[in-house]
Amino acid sequence: MALVKINGIEVEVPDGTNMIEAAKEVGVEIPHYCYHPHLTIAGNCRMCLVDVEAGGRGPDVACNMGARDGLAIRTDTEQVTQMRKSTMEFLLVNHPLDCPICDQAGECRLQDYYMEHGNYESRLSDPKVSKAKRQDIGEHIVLDAERCVACSRCVRFGDEITHTGELRLFDRGDHTSIGIFPGEKLSHQYQGNLADICPVGALTNKDFRFEKRVWYLREQDSICNGCATGCNITVCHEQGQIFRYLPRRNDDVNDSWMCDSGRMSYKRVGDMSRLLRPVVNGESVQMDEAIQAIVASVTLGDVGVVLGAQETNEANWALYQLSRLGIPGARVFHVEGHHPDPTMAPDDFLVSEDANPNTAGVQLLAAHGEVEDTDALQTALADGVLKTLIVLGDDVVDRLHIEPNKPAQLLPTLVYLGTHDNHTAQASTIVLPVAAHVSQDGSFINKDGRVQRLRRALNPLGDAQPAYAVIDALGAALGGAPGTAKAAGTFAQMAAEIGGMSGMSYQTLGAQGQVIGDAASAAQSPSTGE
Amino acid sequence: MAMDHRILTHRWEVEDAHTLAVAEEHGAYVGLKKALGMQPAEVTEVVKASGLRGRGGAGFPTGVKWSFVPGPDKRGDKPVYLVCNADESEPGTFKDRYLMWKDPHMFIEGCIIAAYAVGAHHVYLYLRGEFAYIEERVDAAIAEARAKGYIGKNVCGSGWDCEVYTHLGAGAYICGEETALLSSLEGQRGQPKLKPPFPAVEGAWRCPTIVNNVETMAAVPWIIENGADAYRQFGTEKAPGTKLFSCSGNIRKPGVYEVPLGIPMMELLNDYCGGLYEGRTLQAVIPGGSSVPIMTPDEVAQATMDYESINEVAASYLGSGGFIVMDDTVDLPDALTNLLRFYAHESCGQCTPCREGVGWMHKVLERVSAREATDEDLALLKDLADNIFGRTICFFGPSAAMPVQSFLKKFPDVFFGRVHRGGNVDYADLGAVDPAAPVAPAPAK
Amino acid sequence: MMQTGGFSSPIEGAIEWTDGEKAEIEELCGRYPERRAAMLPVLWKAQRKFGWLNFDVMRLVSESVGQPPSEVFAVASFYTMLKKQPTGRYLFQVCQTLSCALRGADALVSMLEDKLEIQCGETTEDGMFTLMRVECLASCGSAPMMQVNDDFFELLNEARVDEIIAALKSDSPLQTPRPEADQWQWTIES
Repeated sequence: MALVKINGIEVEVPDGTNMIEAAKEVGVEIPHYCYHPHLTIAGNCRMCLVDVEAGGRGPDVACNMGARDGLAIRTDTEQVTQMRKSTMEFLLVNHPLDCPICDQAGECRLQDYYMEHGNYESRLSDPKVSKAKRQDIGEHIVLDAERCVACSRCVRFGDEITHTGELRLFDRGDHTSIGIFPGEKLSHQYQGNLADICPVGALTNKDFRFEKRVWYLREQDSICNGCATGCNITVCHEQGQIFRYLPRRNDDVNDSWMCDSGRMSYKRVGDMSRLLRPVVNGESVQMDEAIQAIVASVTLGDVGVVLGAQETNEANWALYQLSRLGIPGARVFHVEGHHPDPTMAPDDFLVSEDANPNTAGVQLLAAHGEVEDTDALQTALADGVLKTLIVLGDDVVDRLHIEPNKPAQLLPTLVYLGTHDNHTAQASTIVLPVAAHVSQDGSFINKDGRVQRLRRALNPLGDAQPAYAVIDALGAALGGAPGTAKAAGTFAQMAAEIGGMSGMSYQTLGAQGQVIGDAASAAQSPSTGE
Repeated sequence: MAMDHRILTHRWEVEDAHTLAVAEEHGAYVGLKKALGMQPAEVTEVVKASGLRGRGGAGFPTGVKWSFVPGPDKRGDKPVYLVCNADESEPGTFKDRYLMWKDPHMFIEGCIIAAYAVGAHHVYLYLRGEFAYIEERVDAAIAEARAKGYIGKNVCGSGWDCEVYTHLGAGAYICGEETALLSSLEGQRGQPKLKPPFPAVEGAWRCPTIVNNVETMAAVPWIIENGADAYRQFGTEKAPGTKLFSCSGNIRKPGVYEVPLGIPMMELLNDYCGGLYEGRTLQAVIPGGSSVPIMTPDEVAQATMDYESINEVAASYLGSGGFIVMDDTVDLPDALTNLLRFYAHESCGQCTPCREGVGWMHKVLERVSAREATDEDLALLKDLADNIFGRTICFFGPSAAMPVQSFLKKFPDVFFGRVHRGGNVDYADLGAVDPAAPVAPAPAK
Repeated sequence: MMQTGGFSSPIEGAIEWTDGEKAEIEELCGRYPERRAAMLPVLWKAQRKFGWLNFDVMRLVSESVGQPPSEVFAVASFYTMLKKQPTGRYLFQVCQTLSCALRGADALVSMLEDKLEIQCGETTEDGMFTLMRVECLASCGSAPMMQVNDDFFELLNEARVDEIIAALKSDSPLQTPRPEADQWQWTIES
């Protein structure tokens, strides 16, 4: 460990800790463009210049300083104030006045740092250097070379994260421009991250271009439901519409990144195939009418339920409990194995070959209680021993390769609880619409066994409700003890019963999650979260 | 009888001194053979004791630099590299060109000795791209030396291997900065590297690397052959030995002159360079390459040709020894604009103050030269230069800033006379002293 | 971006290496601990063979040194001497930096513009000469001067310039291009 000082405040940090991070520990924000915690050090923007009080020679850039005993830096001196001001002046001298048409406005470091550290009158009486604007450099990204501040984050991302090296600096001096080799556009599935890391509007996301001014957006923490990696995300929305997902930093899951497929998956939340109304025998009905129809069917006995890896732990637990306690003789099934999505390209980085966000959650339940596997389900269907099958979110018709019109022959009542129309929904007698993952509190368990929280960002669409709430209502209608109808409570029940989750709560999960079976997780103090 | 001070140039008037046969007749490779009989650390000690300082511009003690290379026990199995900076691009400097053209074996021998001292087995001679014709000659010299066993496996039967390669740049002044040179050697854009780490610990390919100038290397064989004390009989206490001065501008005899350090600047100007032309008077001198502060005639009269005096007298630097003389016919604002055009063209563009600021200073100076500027623009220039100085990744920032700062500070009236006066800008805004005010001593640094 | 103009223009002939050249490239790569360090040597080799560096040549270099084409372009665009467009048979590079300016570099450029009947930056119609201003060539003591392809021509005056242009036009071998440069101190008649 090293004992360093920032503005006279002492703090102990691991040896070699970047001084920008060390300063954060004592609440001192050091402005910077080119530094990024997940990329190598460049030290070129010079915005993080600090005075060195002891243990070195200054002024020097904080990003290239590793914590060592005796190092003391200051950011509260007149010189630092003046250096920041002049760095801002230099950065803006050739920068185009694009704010009115630039997507970055509102989350732009030039704007933010100018207000905080610049605030000078322009002294420029000479023409600015102009460069090529509006360049299409990839499926997801537009490049404006004039706005670029040559921080080289995008270059380093292409070298160090995707190992594809498309972006480079060309020419030199104040003609230095970012660009690609003609014809060699961005070729990987992490393009959106470039727009995230670009501190200005040089690299922007085509999908988000001109869609919404960021100061109108509200933000909520959630988890991507595109695959089993469970990248941490921020849902950016306004008035019930999602405009984008952004990756949220989690050094144990996705660093600061997410894949483009997951990033674009927000479009699925409001797409045309969403199930919005309960349906019974092809007719739209009210929710309680649909529930009564299920009750009628369940009362006939021979009920099966299928857990779903697309759904939250809370939903799966509620269904499992309902079957165990509220429907005598009910059998619980799950369809094992990974579910590949042909539109995705699994890699050894963030894209899992399993397109389900909660396979691990279902497996945990399957290991905990009497849950039968795929073979058992297929046999049960083939033998015709079930009268009612309640399916939670899983397109079993497709996964079991059942002919679309066959389920009607296999069993009298097929019930589907899901978010989107699919073959199972189409084959179902009763369909209950449930909320998307961004419209509920809940949790998923990712492929590494990390339990991560979802937080409700938007209201559910149409008549949809979170699946656990719908199941609770079904349970109440069946005369059983009502569930908690609250996600936190449902989670608490689960944690109380399942060994690997002992000690977990929404509070302990916090913003970064906890790993199943991690003995420390039980002893962990609650992290900042709720 | 004092030894001839022409340590570096004593073979220059010998015909075909660039060939090994002739060079050896006149003492080439005697130093190498002697060095190979010493321990590498001893060789470093001799160079340290001699007080030889880097002749490329920084003036850092060479032997001390060599001793920064971590010992074999501290560097794991990382190889050490010896790189010779033959990128000579500092305006006003042309001595390395002649050293390499006239007597390539002298600096090659120095490089081999240096490699031996620091434990390197590979020497890269980085020549600027414009020296392609010199590279031919240097390659021929290397081939001759290899045939004689001075380069290659088992050098002179010592058991130590040493390969020497030339590597040609392609037109970038910044590649004379040692870490930019290393980036360029590695096949990348010639962008300087962040320091720390320093090259002696982590340089080319992240291995310990010593970068030395051609002239520095050329002095090494003589020092080894004749000893540190012999070297110290020339020059001053803090600046021993001799230096090549590249003299240009408004003088009768421009050229490269080897002089013992410490001689009066006026002696260099009048005796070696033949003085000014008939009827002209001295206006200014840039003593060490365009990047160092300009000197006034008063300062020239007081200074001696060594690192300390130029710094004390004029707050300037000996630098590369690019001695540029300007008489009264020279338009100083135009001269400064010319220099900033150079710096704007050569900035690598990596860091903010230099990338944006040097280009900006150049644009303002173009207006000054064209008589389209105001005194506010002069104050702006000084401020921009001050904001670049000390804020950049490498020394290029100060190199572009110092000419601006020093021209304005030392010749304020010339610049005031070139612009429209608004009345709000005075001498202090240019960093200058009001000639009407009582005289204060010039600051040392 | 800057200088993209000519890059896409074609170069006559196949853009490839002979077996001999490939062997030379391997030898060059072997001089360094990393293959990519041969970037500049291979770029020079390519420029000498093909005349200048268009995108196809850059792709060839990219294969030779094992770097993406973007990196080759990044390096090529950084260095002044690597040509991003074709030039005449003889490239006149006149130094314009301070010491040369003090001894008539601007006048030399004007003189050349007149004699060659082109502006700086242009090539003569017969494709023989391109005129460029460049920065310090480390020839400050023998100013004014210029570099023509690989050779330095120093201490220029009108007579010398005429002599040089005539010799190049008639393809007659020039004498040692730097007769005075063998001296290391000069006497200039004032």
